[in-house]
Amino acid sequence: MFNLSLLRQFSRLAICPATKIPISSRNITTTAAVQFKITDQLWAEPMKKKKKIDPAIVKAREERRRKKLEKQIRRLEKNARQLKPLDEMEVPLELLDNFSKRKRPQPKLSAEVIEARALLQKDWARYKKEEYMANVAQVDRIMGAQRRALEKLLEESEDLYNEAIMPDLQLIPYEVSGTVATPAIKDYATPDGEYIDVSKKWDN
Amino acid sequence: MFKSFIQAEVTLCRKIFVRSLNTRSPWDIVTGVCVERLPVVTPPLNEMQKKFMALQSTLEIEKSMKSDHEIRHESDKIQAELLKKESADVDVDAVSKITAQDFEDASNEELAQFKFASIETDADKKGDKTSTERCLQRHLVLVTPIKLGSDTKTLLPQGLLKEGETLRQTAERIVKEQCGPELNVQFLSNAPCGFYKYKYPSEVNGKIGAKVFFYYANYKSGKLNKTKGNWLTRNELQDILPDRYSKSVKEFLIEETY
Repeated sequence: MFNLSLLRQFSRLAICPATKIPISSRNITTTAAVQFKITDQLWAEPMKKKKKIDPAIVKAREERRRKKLEKQIRRLEKNARQLKPLDEMEVPLELLDNFSKRKRPQPKLSAEVIEARALLQKDWARYKKEEYMANVAQVDRIMGAQRRALEKLLEESEDLYNEAIMPDLQLIPYEVSGTVATPAIKDYATPDGEYIDVSKKWDN
Repeated sequence: MFKSFIQAEVTLCRKIFVRSLNTRSPWDIVTGVCVERLPVVTPPLNEMQKKFMALQSTLEIEKSMKSDHEIRHESDKIQAELLKKESADVDVDAVSKITAQDFEDASNEELAQFKFASIETDADKKGDKTSTERCLQRHLVLVTPIKLGSDTKTLLPQGLLKEGETLRQTAERIVKEQCGPELNVQFLSNAPCGFYKYKYPSEVNGKIGAKVFFYYANYKSGKLNKTKGNWLTRNELQDILPDRYSKSVKEFLIEETY
């Protein structure tokens, strides 16, 4: 402490009077805060020191990432090309091998039989045509009956007519179970069958 | 501008005029409901269909390949012959098992034991026309006794249109009222499918007759429980309905071909 003050004393003595300290000089300014100094503005946090990693490790890491992505892409492409096989659509090899064994000897048809068959097929075509014409006529008749009914309704009341030509939304969904070959047996207990699910899983 | 205004006015006037006419219409509006039970069992084949079906099945067999069963049957025969000759290379395991013929016999026996339900139902045997379980191969239409004035006639269920109802709503109400809530039917359209007009013998409340609009519905399930209704085939329908009425009903029904 003593030393310091002594030093200061000494330094004051050592300063030559010609070089004046700016504090002591008298400036004429309009602002009062001439002597204040503001610290520098930084506008950001000082940079942290970067951790140094071995470039070889970085490279290896990058490589691994790329490989992984490539593998995924390859797998996707492969699966896109490979279609799910339909077992039912493929003829079993066993059948293909015994193809000739399974051929049925063709019966020798007499000329009369061939003629009779051809005649029957022609008759059938005629029969189906008539049936079709009858069906078309029938549809016409039924549609005509409806049209006539609607016309009569329009004569009677326009409001009722407008209500009648609205689409029937209750019809959708429409379900109908068709005619069967033999009537259902009442209270029939269906014998239990065995059920084995053999379908394959085709996940990626 | 003026023209369109005039036009709007004219159409409005016309509407009012038509409506006033309607209220004074001399006809009663009546909704009839044709409830039809569709055939349950396919109709029998006719001669032509039978012949063609036989041809188709022979052709199919001619063009087919041999089945596993037939091949097994053939190999069984060969084995049996070898056994008869007592040749050395008989496969004993193959012979001792059940032959294809045995399998076929057993299957045929099982089929013979199975009894299909008869197409002729109890209702057919008893001649019960009130059941829907009759004439399974035919279309059946529901008829009910309807009171017209003083006498009762057998007609399709029908009823008068009430104020504020659409025809479809009337039809649904009639089915519920006359057949009971248990009868489940499906209407196929909002529009009437047929029309019939008749005059009253004398004027009733200023009305000279009735216009009947028929609605078509399919029977789904349930039973009649209120009135005694009959389910009739096409021929029975023609016999029981009045001639002119029957004609207009037949107009919108599918014709049976057998």
